[in-house]
Amino acid sequence: MIPTLVGMTFLLFAIMRFAPGLTTGGGEYSSGMMSSRQAQQAEQQMMSKRLHLVDQNGKPISLPMQYIYWLRDTCEGDFGTSVQYNQPVMDLIKQRLPVTLIINLISMVVIYILAIPAGMLAAVRKGGVFDHIYAFGSLALYSLPVIWVGSMLLGFLANPQFLNWFPSAGIHSTNTDNMTYLQYVGDYFWHIALPTLCYTYGSFAYLSKQVRASMLDTMHQDFVRTARAKGLSEPVVLIRHVFRNVLLPLITITGMSLPGLLGGSVIVEQIFSIDGMGRLAFQATFARDLPVIQTVALIGSVLTLFSYLLVDICYAIADPRVTYD
Amino acid sequence: MPDMPVLLRSERTLTQQIVARVFRPLLVKVCTGYLVLLCLIAIFVPFIANGVPYTMVIPGSSGQPAVRMFPLFRDLASVDLILLVVAGAFLIYLIAHFCTRKEKALARVRHRRTWFLWLTAAATVASILIAIFHQNRLDALDYRDMASAGQVSDAIFAPIRWGYADQEPLSANLINQMPDSRHVLGTDTAGRDILSRLLWSTRIAMGVGFVSQIIALTIGVLVGALAGYFGGIVDILGMRLVEIVESVPTFFLILTFVAIYGRDIFIIMVIIGVVGWTGYTRLLRGEFLRIRQIDYVTAARAGGIPLWRILFKHILPNGLTPVLVSASFGFAGAVSLESMLSYLGVGVAPPTPSWGDMLNSAGNPAVVFHWWEALFPGFLLFLTILAFIYIGESLRDAIDPTSLERG
Repeated sequence: MIPTLVGMTFLLFAIMRFAPGLTTGGGEYSSGMMSSRQAQQAEQQMMSKRLHLVDQNGKPISLPMQYIYWLRDTCEGDFGTSVQYNQPVMDLIKQRLPVTLIINLISMVVIYILAIPAGMLAAVRKGGVFDHIYAFGSLALYSLPVIWVGSMLLGFLANPQFLNWFPSAGIHSTNTDNMTYLQYVGDYFWHIALPTLCYTYGSFAYLSKQVRASMLDTMHQDFVRTARAKGLSEPVVLIRHVFRNVLLPLITITGMSLPGLLGGSVIVEQIFSIDGMGRLAFQATFARDLPVIQTVALIGSVLTLFSYLLVDICYAIADPRVTYD
Repeated sequence: MPDMPVLLRSERTLTQQIVARVFRPLLVKVCTGYLVLLCLIAIFVPFIANGVPYTMVIPGSSGQPAVRMFPLFRDLASVDLILLVVAGAFLIYLIAHFCTRKEKALARVRHRRTWFLWLTAAATVASILIAIFHQNRLDALDYRDMASAGQVSDAIFAPIRWGYADQEPLSANLINQMPDSRHVLGTDTAGRDILSRLLWSTRIAMGVGFVSQIIALTIGVLVGALAGYFGGIVDILGMRLVEIVESVPTFFLILTFVAIYGRDIFIIMVIIGVVGWTGYTRLLRGEFLRIRQIDYVTAARAGGIPLWRILFKHILPNGLTPVLVSASFGFAGAVSLESMLSYLGVGVAPPTPSWGDMLNSAGNPAVVFHWWEALFPGFLLFLTILAFIYIGESLRDAIDPTSLERG
């Protein structure tokens, strides 16, 4: 875990530092107000100091030391200041995170509520009509491209030309000031309905397929036959004996989806014009906003590694047979 | 050999048997047919959708004889020619394969290997020569106008008379046209034919899939084989490398590269490959760990067979089937990733068409929604991804011994 973490930060640092043009700061993006050459140079120097490219006296710092300074700052919770917005990266993330997190959490809840029963039903009714429809349907759902679904939903359901049922952009209506709290919440949900749908359908298909496969695997085990032979009722067999084992692959999948929870989807946020984490990172990349890019990438990578660890721990809790020496 | 045991007489390897089993259901056949069709379109699209006629006659004037010309063939780009060479080589290989099917196994294998080497070498040399010496022509003539105005006669056009970049004159009010008889699927914001662009997009989709997965397979097989075969410190280092590469967010890596170096679809293909090999490595490492303990590997080692032969001739073919599954999912993933990048405007550079780019240029659907500009490319994208995933699923079911129980 620790060596991987170090290797990963090193790789991240290398990619960012050897990318030409990134370390020189935002260029035309950041210095819009100061037009004189001197002012630009002064800002460049400020940037360089902030990014630890040069020390207080303006001498260049060697690459290994840059890396160590960056690591130190990061560990202290100082992710630098955004070039594009001239705001601490931490504040930016605090602004953008809630939307992404809420949409993700809602879609996650919806996915689990729908996918687990669907998968179990398909497994129990194996070979039946529901199973056949389900088998092809879930594959089709899974391979529907988000960019297409998003465009179609917006075009047909949020467009005055066709059906104008949903708002087309953002997360609030313009007149939020004179709304009651309930109206406000309703408005919010109304705005995030389509994006949430875009987040949901693919993962739903994937998750329920996993549930079905894992259910079928478990239902052929000896202990299930024993449980039935004991005379336990079918629901008890399914829920107490089978489902407990289905939990294990679910833990893995949930763990793997954790990094996306904070990262958000660039595509969905771009289609529906939602200012979340994904869009922040996307815009930062093209504004060459190094501190933001570095932080977002770092958060993503650390979360990935962290979720591996979390999956291992949850495994041990859910399945008493698993031990890590 | 008169008394050959039945088992030996069956020439089909395990992989062949599995492939045969996979392709039995109708739906898999349909999916495969669709993908083969896409590949054919990708190769031959200049002959299907092009504004330049195959052939035409410039009528003679003042004593000069009439001249027959072949503008389409003259205008072929390097990429077109290279694809044709590769397709030709593949065709020859297929023919050779079917002609030698009845030969004795050993002779056939030897035969095929020499053939294959010569063919590959010839195709590679030809492609390199084309890439170096062929110069793409810029042909700005509007042959359709010339034909209808009677300046040329006997013009034979491709079935679709529009190239991917051919624009209707912006003044003619033919931009954003609904499907009609002139443009079967309508035109886009720049007045270009949607159907033509749909077909040309297969090139990018298939190209991204093939290039990225070939790169990923090469790296993945190498690392997986070494890690699995040697074990110990090599294994530990290899798997740490896999974890590190896996934790790099591919999407943002590509965005960063595009932000720095500008749009280049080839860089994108390479990055998808260079970051996407970890799945293959994980699979192959497991297979190599398992197979290296089987007796025949020990026998091969005792026989003094060189290491690379043991790795890639003796072990690899037995561990390849799970990789096929992974490859077909990988292909689908690459196609979908490219479409997303193009949708965000960081994939292909205009006027090169790609399904994602076409969805993007359909404009903001919330303001004015030209449904025909978004519906068709998205649908083809969906079908392509679905076909790959369906074939992958069927392969997995065929390989998995417990799948019979599961059904």
